[in-house]
Amino acid sequence: MSMKDKMEAEVVEAELVLPSYLSFKRVQMYEKYPKGQARGRHWKHLKQIIQAENYQNYPPDEPNYVNIESPPSIHPCKRICDITGFEAPYYDPRTNLRYANADVFKVIRSLPNEYVQRYLALRNAAIVLK
Amino acid sequence: MPFISKIQRQNDFNLFDSQTPIVIDNGASYFRIGWAGESEPRVVFRNIVQRPRHKVTGETVTIVGDHDPALLKYFDCTRSGPRSAFDSNVVYQFETMEYILDFGFDRMGANGMEIDHPVLITECACNPVQSRSKMAELLFETYGVPSIAFGVDVAFSYKYNQQQGVCAKDGLALCPGFTTTHVIPFVDGEPVYRGSCRTNIGGFHVTDYLKQLLSLKYPYHLAAFTWEKVEDLKMEHCYVAPDYLSEARLFQKGAKEAEEKTRCWQLPWVPPPTEEPPSEEEIARKAAIKEKQSQRLREMAEAKKSSKINELENELHALEFLLHQLDQVKESEVPSFLAETGYVSRLEIESERNKVMQSLRKVKGEPKNEQAEIEKADLAANEKYSLINIADDMLTQEQLNEKKKQLSLKSMAEGRQRLKQKRYEEELERERQQQLEEEKRLENPGLYLEQLLARYKDLSERVDQQKRLKTNGGHSNGNNLSGGVGRGERLNAAQRERMRLLTTAAFDRGKGEDTFGIRDEDWQLYKLMSKDYANDDDEEPDEDEAELTRISSRLQELDATFIPKSDVGFSQPAEVPRFKPLTKEDFQISLGVERFRCPEMLFSPNWIGVDQVGLDEMTGVSIRRLQFKDESLEERLTSSILVTGGSSLYPGIVERLEAGIRMIRPCGSPIKIVRALDPVMDAWRGAASFASDSQFHLQTFSRQDYYEKGEDWLRNYQLQYTL
Repeated sequence: MSMKDKMEAEVVEAELVLPSYLSFKRVQMYEKYPKGQARGRHWKHLKQIIQAENYQNYPPDEPNYVNIESPPSIHPCKRICDITGFEAPYYDPRTNLRYANADVFKVIRSLPNEYVQRYLALRNAAIVLK
Repeated sequence: MPFISKIQRQNDFNLFDSQTPIVIDNGASYFRIGWAGESEPRVVFRNIVQRPRHKVTGETVTIVGDHDPALLKYFDCTRSGPRSAFDSNVVYQFETMEYILDFGFDRMGANGMEIDHPVLITECACNPVQSRSKMAELLFETYGVPSIAFGVDVAFSYKYNQQQGVCAKDGLALCPGFTTTHVIPFVDGEPVYRGSCRTNIGGFHVTDYLKQLLSLKYPYHLAAFTWEKVEDLKMEHCYVAPDYLSEARLFQKGAKEAEEKTRCWQLPWVPPPTEEPPSEEEIARKAAIKEKQSQRLREMAEAKKSSKINELENELHALEFLLHQLDQVKESEVPSFLAETGYVSRLEIESERNKVMQSLRKVKGEPKNEQAEIEKADLAANEKYSLINIADDMLTQEQLNEKKKQLSLKSMAEGRQRLKQKRYEEELERERQQQLEEEKRLENPGLYLEQLLARYKDLSERVDQQKRLKTNGGHSNGNNLSGGVGRGERLNAAQRERMRLLTTAAFDRGKGEDTFGIRDEDWQLYKLMSKDYANDDDEEPDEDEAELTRISSRLQELDATFIPKSDVGFSQPAEVPRFKPLTKEDFQISLGVERFRCPEMLFSPNWIGVDQVGLDEMTGVSIRRLQFKDESLEERLTSSILVTGGSSLYPGIVERLEAGIRMIRPCGSPIKIVRALDPVMDAWRGAASFASDSQFHLQTFSRQDYYEKGEDWLRNYQLQYTL
């Protein structure tokens, strides 16, 4: 392809780039997805796929993608400190972070807000305003 | 790194007859493709696609898999991150999937008109039929594949190990994968999906967790924590602790074992070039130069001073001469004589002379006799203010004006005196305070330093807060990220006042005409409303700031390790601008608790916010779902538990699982957990051995089958694993 001439030698050597014409394909990529069209074809995400599956129309004891999902845990959750990872029986009411002892508490209180939110986001406990 | 890509183009594609199936293990992490009946896949690569622009030609190209980053520098990769065809463990993006298949077949050496081999491809358990049908269409239509079979990778792995004798006909397969974790029971060699269980936690989440923890702990080295590097770290250093809490306690106590278990990663660091202490001659030379310079300056000053002295003396002489002449001249001719010289009265000349004498004295550097000066000043004052004491009615009009002037002069002079006095007193006061502080410091340096630091901290907080208030509320409270503008503007008292004025001025009272503007004072409102006026508040924080700087300079003198906190803005974390040189230790990343905290997440998905059961509980759920109520079956299941999948490579996971499962099973039931021979490759191997079986073709479906029977049939299509 003409493109290859212009590319650097080592790139061609390594065959880094996928060739646009492949002999074993009946329909090539450039035919299937013409350049003019918006490349970001709207593919359905998993949530939409599951919705469209209409699992409720089928007998519930038949295993499908949704009903083999795990239930929530019954065991009490082990609470660990957000910053250090030690066992944390306490939590800070202002920031909602869990901490293990007084030193960690000092650190928490001196953290800028961005960091508090990131630690909470680790636990999926950050407040997200949409 | 245990995962290696193999992308060498194969050249024996044509040697295989068209009955030989191609086996593909399409995993969320890696794509493996090879021939049936072989023990290793021919081509292995990371299941991602990038579409960067070539910098020179401007063309958008496609790059599949992970590649040497050195080659990628020819491409502009900023707008194209690596993309995967998967959403969780289901393929949803078939354009990306097509690129991947292209690449895979290409590297296998395919060169015909189409792929004329049956294809066995893996999918996730209970794959939604839409994904399945799109995949089938893709393979049939675009590649011309004659027949397809879909299978579950976990099942293949189990079957393979069963054939190798690692596990029994009845058992459980535990597969922590890249994005999900499955537990599937096997009865009579067939997977029973009704009893299977899936948690949406996998190796991806563990790596992500580790990456975020490290970034938060070492914000300074954010750039060093790339995804690939963190994955490497995870694979090398992470392990599963047999009991999380006791291990954490070890680290908390700081025991010696904890020290040994902490691994340190030294980032590349170049020490700054040390400045050698200047040698003796250097010092001497520099000192000599300085001396010469100061000498020169001194000479210049001397010269100036002497010239000024000369000038002043000349003036003095002239004036005295003038006075002398004045004395000699006759009374009547005084005005004309004075008119020539340019002075109005004798008094003026005398005052001029006094001034010159004073400056002369100053320049000569004679000790100022303050007392004498003040006296002189008083005398002069008495002369000047002579008119004040005389009562009003005894003076003429001119003299009254004169008196007014003198009164104002006097009050001004007095004011100045008072000010001087006050300043002098303040100086004394400050000196006394400094003395006191010095004493305090000398007697108890530690305490003094602490107090000073505390005060500094307080002040800096207050200053910061005021600054925050002034600049539109910003980060007032963790929760409002978007509502800052409106509320923040009104937090300040002056700004509140401004708001009030604005609203009252704009408020249309309705009845009657608007009488605003009739009086001139109304327009003053705008002055009040203007923003500049609102900066009245600046005075108060200035005091604080002044004190802040004073304290910080003091602290810098006293304490060598004190680092003043410059307010760099809130985007910066607890990082302080370092005034002491960065040491080697600052560039060391230590992995202590993180080593076992991250994989522990597989057992407690709650730590990441995923509200599902962890790995050990999943077995209980799975057995419960089977509902066979057959004790012996359950025992058989638990005595043959196979752990497979990429995320099962952590050392210590088997022991932990055993402990966890023992907790939920009735006491005394047999538990035997085995690891797959090769957790990563076994799925492909199982599929390859399955496809090489002679009965394999009965399990496939062809293009015709697909179009005739349609989607519904495809929904019920399940592979039978025991042939």
